Amino acid sequence: MKWMKKLFGGAPVLPSVSLPADQAAALAAWRKRPDEDFARPHFRTRYVVVDVEASGLNMRRDRLISIGAVAVSGGMIDPLDTFGVVLRQDEVSSHENILIHGIGGSAQQDGVEPVAALLRFLDFVGKAPLVAYHAEFDQAMIERAARDHLGTALELRWIDLAWVLPELFRERIDAQAQLDDWLGQFGIGNFLRHNAVADAYATAQLLQVALTRGAATGKESAQSFFDTEKARRWLRRAG
Amino acid sequence: MNTNATRMLVDATIDALRRHSPFDRMEREALVFLAERARLGYFPKDSHIVTPEMGPVSTFYIIQRGKVLARQSGEINVTEYSSLTMGTGECFPIGSVMARRASTNTYVAIEDTFCYQLTADDFVQLMQMSQQFSRFCTQYIATLLNQSRRQLQVQFAQRAAEQQSMSSPLSSIVTKAPVSVGPEAPIRQVVESMVSGHIGSMVVVDDKQRPIGIFTQSDALKRILLPGLSLDRPISEVMSAHPHALSEHAHVYDAALAMAMHSVRHVLVVDGEGRLKGVVSERDLFTLQRVGLRQIRQAIEGAQDIAVLRQAGADVRQLALNMLAQGVGAEQLTQFISALNDTVTRRVIQLNLAVHDLYGIEWAWLSFGSEGRDEQTFSTDQDNGIVYLCPDIMNREELELRLLEFAQDVNRDLDAVGFPFCKGNIMASNPELCLTLEAWEEKFAKWVRVPEPQALLNASIFFDFRALYGATHLGDRLRMTLLKLVGSQSVFLRMMAANALSVLPPLGKIRDFVTDLNPEHPGCVDLKVYGARLFIDAARIFALATGLYNTNTVQRLRLAGQRMGMASDETAAIVEGFNFIQLLRLRHQHFENEHGRPGDNFINPDQLNELDRRILKESFRQARKLQQRLKLDYQV
Repeated sequence: MKWMKKLFGGAPVLPSVSLPADQAAALAAWRKRPDEDFARPHFRTRYVVVDVEASGLNMRRDRLISIGAVAVSGGMIDPLDTFGVVLRQDEVSSHENILIHGIGGSAQQDGVEPVAALLRFLDFVGKAPLVAYHAEFDQAMIERAARDHLGTALELRWIDLAWVLPELFRERIDAQAQLDDWLGQFGIGNFLRHNAVADAYATAQLLQVALTRGAATGKESAQSFFDTEKARRWLRRAG
Repeated sequence: MNTNATRMLVDATIDALRRHSPFDRMEREALVFLAERARLGYFPKDSHIVTPEMGPVSTFYIIQRGKVLARQSGEINVTEYSSLTMGTGECFPIGSVMARRASTNTYVAIEDTFCYQLTADDFVQLMQMSQQFSRFCTQYIATLLNQSRRQLQVQFAQRAAEQQSMSSPLSSIVTKAPVSVGPEAPIRQVVESMVSGHIGSMVVVDDKQRPIGIFTQSDALKRILLPGLSLDRPISEVMSAHPHALSEHAHVYDAALAMAMHSVRHVLVVDGEGRLKGVVSERDLFTLQRVGLRQIRQAIEGAQDIAVLRQAGADVRQLALNMLAQGVGAEQLTQFISALNDTVTRRVIQLNLAVHDLYGIEWAWLSFGSEGRDEQTFSTDQDNGIVYLCPDIMNREELELRLLEFAQDVNRDLDAVGFPFCKGNIMASNPELCLTLEAWEEKFAKWVRVPEPQALLNASIFFDFRALYGATHLGDRLRMTLLKLVGSQSVFLRMMAANALSVLPPLGKIRDFVTDLNPEHPGCVDLKVYGARLFIDAARIFALATGLYNTNTVQRLRLAGQRMGMASDETAAIVEGFNFIQLLRLRHQHFENEHGRPGDNFINPDQLNELDRRILKESFRQARKLQQRLKLDYQV
């Protein structure tokens, strides 16, 4: 297929994956969706807060088990605009790992076929800016899954609240902290810890707080959050 | 959208909501509907969530976490009264979102707050889906009203707590043992003991300790010093006889009322056998009220211009409001307002007499309508007239002209001090209502003899006349004539009765109340036309039938009831019904005034709490009873 070669030609490290026609079409359709304008103010932007569960914490070896995502649109969380999927595993994760996220062996084997799961996720996200706490992990796990199963790099933009929050709320915690510390600061509860959807829901509430503070302090777009994060990381490295 | 994630969040939301009323007893289906459509929003500390300026409310909020302060808006009471802190699980603004109108409260997040938000359309649908939720919302509105009323009372109670309540018994403010002398005591001895004991007044008692007179410091100047009276004379020669006395069980506001009505500065307190227990002075009451009676009356009586009187008029209303908040009953309150309004009116007349020379003319200022009945509410306009005598030696037309010019100025000034002109021109400056005694008698006679509809309407206004100032005996003479007239024309009272029965109490056959009588106020009952007036009209007929001089409705009911042989508990129940309706009117007018609206009499029974609604229903039943009596008595 000529057009597919053209599409993936520029990424030589990518494994060659050949998708069935309908899935390839779905991926192409997602690719064609227009890019978000990151300069838009928060209240006109749809953010997608993401949390993933994996078979372990090793970003290179461990497998992606589930994705939870909650959209924050116009500063509000709409329960109908949420996403959750468990990816089918050929090999069930360890007993200790199951105890953490609670997705049992049979649930893992009954999960959605990975390509379909990832395509559904992309359809839910569109080109929205993604948000997570300690985003490297979520980003790495999703990107690796996309590479392995879709044979493509997603090139989505991510915002890491672990970097943005200390800048916005210096008076509270002016350092890297755990997610639970920030949730505690704002009294945000989590109805099911280590469930991807529940964690994403809690993190989404944290984003609501961040958006409001950002809008009040001149950091009023996704772009300004990207910049804040970048400056803060640079500062940390320099200091 | 992914149904698994949504279902999970919906379940979590339901679990969280279920910890709070009314969601704990709401139907599962309705809860799912709510949790699916409730979007979560965030409000940082100090942000305004809903304010009156935002216009009609389109969102219903349930606090997921945090604290929200609801504060009554409006320029009159910006204090803490009726402010309310709400926490997790509580909802707002129920009333406004139901009515789709602007909120009267401001809702501010006083902590970082998350709220579930439901659109007004979804809210309405939820109310239709869930009986529990619908009941919760309606009850909430009733309680809120109740709550704010209670808070209003708390606010005033706090003010009164520094001092004391107007509704406490007189015995509670009489602290010093009374100082008294016998009638034979020489003036010298009395004055000496007043000076040495720093007492402003001395009570003169008989051998059984019953007060027979009072002597005050100011009397010394006028009655002893100026006439050069011998200090050896007995005190009984210079004392004021028949001092005003009240039972020690009477309330403080009774003393206030007596002082206002009789223009006295001291009231004696006696026990059950009439023995002196103490003296209450205006000074004692002054310490009870910040906007004191004494202050107001002094301001009124000493007022040299209209501006001062206007302020006094406003103070009268404020004082009445305080008394309302302290739980003083409608009967006392309306009398109180009338008494102080009388004082204002008298002063306006006096000020104008300085400009208009009416010396040598026998005339009296008449009040009609509610003022004539001593039962004014907060919203009241002028209803007045003049009666005078025209001796043969005087030119009647010239006399009338002088009185009319005078009346014009008085009407104008009364309007300026806060009693608006009467829309129906029932004012002394109207030549039709500035009449000689004979002309009034003729007018009354015409109405009584030919009781056509307009005559009956006139009777209901003018027959409640009361002479307020001047030659008040002219009022008595007019009353006597009227009673004689009515006694000789039995058909008149029958027509009055038929007229009174043309308006029925708004008790519904299916619903509790008939609320669709006025298309401009749907859902409301006019408590003046369909409430108070039912009692007032019946009482007037009873009074005329039994030859009573009284104009006050409660007094008429009590006295006429006695003369007609009504059981006293029956009369008491009727009086209670009337008083309750008057109380609702006062409260409502107060409420309306607080919100910058002129007070009307339209009350929505749905907005009353359950208890008030029941009492109102009972009050209307009493009106019906009264009407049944009229029906029987006059065979109409």
